[in-house]
Amino acid sequence: MIHFALKNWRQNIIYIGFVLIFLLFALTLNDRGFLNPNNLLNIFRQTAMIAIMAIAMTYVLSAGEIDLSVGAVAGLTTVTVALTISVAGPLAGVAVGLLTGIAVGVCNGWLTTRVGIPSFLTTLAMMGIAKGVAMWISGTSAVPILSRSFAWFFGGGSLGIVPILFFWILIFGVWGHIQLKHTGFGRRVLATGGGETAARYTGINVKNVKFQVLVVSGTAAAIAGMLYAGRLQSGRFQLGEGDELSVIAAAVLGGTSLFGGKGTVIGTIVGALMIGMINNGLILMGLEYSQQLIARGGIIILAVALSQRQ
Amino acid sequence: MSVAPEQSQAVEMHGISMHFGSLVALDNVDLSVRAGEVHALLGGNGAGKSTLLKILNGVHQQTAGDVAVFGTPFQGNSPELARAAGVAMNFQEMPLIPSLTVAQNIFLNHEFIRNGLINEAVAVERARDLFEQLNVEVDPRMLVSDLSPGQRQLTEIAKSISHDARVWILDEPSTALSVTDVERLFESIRAHTAQGNAVIYVSHRMDEIAKISDRLTILRDGRKVTTAETRAFSVSQMIEHIVGKKARDFSNLSLERKTLGAPVLELDALQDTYKLRPVSLSIREGEVVGLAGLLGSGRSSLIKLIAGVDAKASGSIRVAGKPVEFRGPADAMAEGIAHVPESRATQGIIGSHATSDNLTLSILDRISVRGLIRQQRVRALSQKQIDDFNIKVESQSTPVLNLSGGNQQKVVLGKNFGIQPKILLLDEPTAGIDIGAKTEIIDAIHSKASEGMAVLVASSELSELAVACDRFLILADGVICEDVSSDDIAAENPSGVNMVPFIQRVLEEKIQDANKTLKTESFGEKQ
Repeated sequence: MIHFALKNWRQNIIYIGFVLIFLLFALTLNDRGFLNPNNLLNIFRQTAMIAIMAIAMTYVLSAGEIDLSVGAVAGLTTVTVALTISVAGPLAGVAVGLLTGIAVGVCNGWLTTRVGIPSFLTTLAMMGIAKGVAMWISGTSAVPILSRSFAWFFGGGSLGIVPILFFWILIFGVWGHIQLKHTGFGRRVLATGGGETAARYTGINVKNVKFQVLVVSGTAAAIAGMLYAGRLQSGRFQLGEGDELSVIAAAVLGGTSLFGGKGTVIGTIVGALMIGMINNGLILMGLEYSQQLIARGGIIILAVALSQRQ
Repeated sequence: MSVAPEQSQAVEMHGISMHFGSLVALDNVDLSVRAGEVHALLGGNGAGKSTLLKILNGVHQQTAGDVAVFGTPFQGNSPELARAAGVAMNFQEMPLIPSLTVAQNIFLNHEFIRNGLINEAVAVERARDLFEQLNVEVDPRMLVSDLSPGQRQLTEIAKSISHDARVWILDEPSTALSVTDVERLFESIRAHTAQGNAVIYVSHRMDEIAKISDRLTILRDGRKVTTAETRAFSVSQMIEHIVGKKARDFSNLSLERKTLGAPVLELDALQDTYKLRPVSLSIREGEVVGLAGLLGSGRSSLIKLIAGVDAKASGSIRVAGKPVEFRGPADAMAEGIAHVPESRATQGIIGSHATSDNLTLSILDRISVRGLIRQQRVRALSQKQIDDFNIKVESQSTPVLNLSGGNQQKVVLGKNFGIQPKILLLDEPTAGIDIGAKTEIIDAIHSKASEGMAVLVASSELSELAVACDRFLILADGVICEDVSSDDIAAENPSGVNMVPFIQRVLEEKIQDANKTLKTESFGEKQ
């Protein structure tokens, strides 16, 4: 077992790194409350949205595509949900929120697979469009959410001491893992990214596969957006801004290839938790925001560099 | 010829061993190539040929042994040093850059510079000289993306010899070349060796080895079997040494007759958007039909059309009498059409994925229960294919990339037979595969046909078609020029001796005639 871990240490760097950083923070930041259960649960709370979007991103990257619009779509969803709840109640809000994500995903998928614009460009453009729409319909101001049930279910609540967001990660993680590793759909996604032509010649409709993963990604971004909205009890266009980088970093840290054909949901979740833990530790260390950005970037580059095959 | 004694050896590799971890790729191998000779290096996939050549070419550093080129000791592990020593090798796996011209590709990274700027005219001129040396015509100013596969292969060869190398290592240089171009290449090889240089020639095509090489060295399982004069060997003896057991030689295969069933694949004026003129044909149950023609004659285009990969422009396809429309390969597979594509690496396998994943990719519904993939089923079905096709693989989870070419191709076959097809389309099924695996694949074709499968094979290797097929279609420039049965050709050779080489020669002539006729016709049109 130890031999195996050493031999494949590059593949398992994410797990090794996770444990090492955890131990480092536990030793140096214990007096500042790093190991306090509440703080550890906070890491889950702060990571849930990234983790859910990163699970979907694992599919997108595994299929050989990318989705840069997730952060902006999450932000747009907070606004559409908040506006709908204020006029039609929480159920309508959830429906509109999901539709927001699906609509963006369908646009991304259609432009990428039918018009033939690379997903990098499609979703980069969509990032701007989503943010613009969110600013426009909210008049750039925060929209409050008064529904307590929505706020409890989407991010604010907890069962006992366990935050509801933990269950969101759990459900998405189990579902995502099984879909990717144990269903025909997952196999088709990995085959599409691993060798698009061979997959096509084997009868796989690779365009449909790519379309589907982009819709999944849009939908996951919408759910992450609803979690932001529920947790902060408001819709704001700035929510989720810049998340796409953390999301992609989490997936890549977890061993998903940026070039397709290879990815694991479990690795992605650990990658997301690691980024959350680093953020948390850096805050506890008392670093300024500017310093946090620099340190976080450096740690991510180091981890990804170590996990690359030589 | 008056060569100094230490110069009479072009390449002297002595006691070469190569270990990759615990794997012994080469074990105390000698290779000595005389100046002025063409030396063939033979061996099955995994015999150690490419490892030996990569040591000579400076890509690998041997674990033990000495290398000398024209008397000068040469410590490997640097392609630059190998080049300086006068060794050049064509790389099959290192493709040309399609968006650059032929000349730009040939002189990539050693361009002619004048006043700090690249001098394109000199490059074009030098490229012309190289092609002249090779006796072939390729326009150096053309974009590589516009070249035919044969022209690409010639460009790769020209690129490898662009450093005034004295020792040419030619690794499967003729897979995409027409018969005429192979002849021309051989002429330039002879001209090169006549000047006291040397050529190491690697090919799975035994007829070429017999034709061009003076001496040969045979490797098997990382050891040298023998070095000898080529003319001391018959083709079947060579194969015996390569495979290591009494193997069936193509030319000894008996051509058995069989009864054919009802037509299962019928094409009526089928046409694609660019290459093919309307094609009509009918293939019956149990029949093996060969598509013979030069590269670019439309062999692959026709196969891809029937496989649903490319969309047809007009015409119709009937499977077992029923008209069908294909929007993609999935539709064709649903009608029981399996397709072993031309390019194994990009179209056939997903290299980084496990062997079992590749084998079951075509039958995801059969390995799933209520939407979930069952590992037992994956293992059982994969194991069945691994046994049926005698695939040599360490474990089911080994990435296909790590398998030899022949075993990779068997994985592609296994994947396709998984759908239990009625019609099997094969495009260059044995390209780059050693003779042992080649025979196994042809055996598999025969046994499937005897079970009633209809088979359509496209191949540039006529000996393989001659053995495998009941009927031949001669294609030239997108037109089926002739439809001739194996029996009809055989009737012209009543003695029955050397039947396969005889059929092969007849096919060769027919292809050349077909192309000649076309050329005169189009010439006439222009007049």
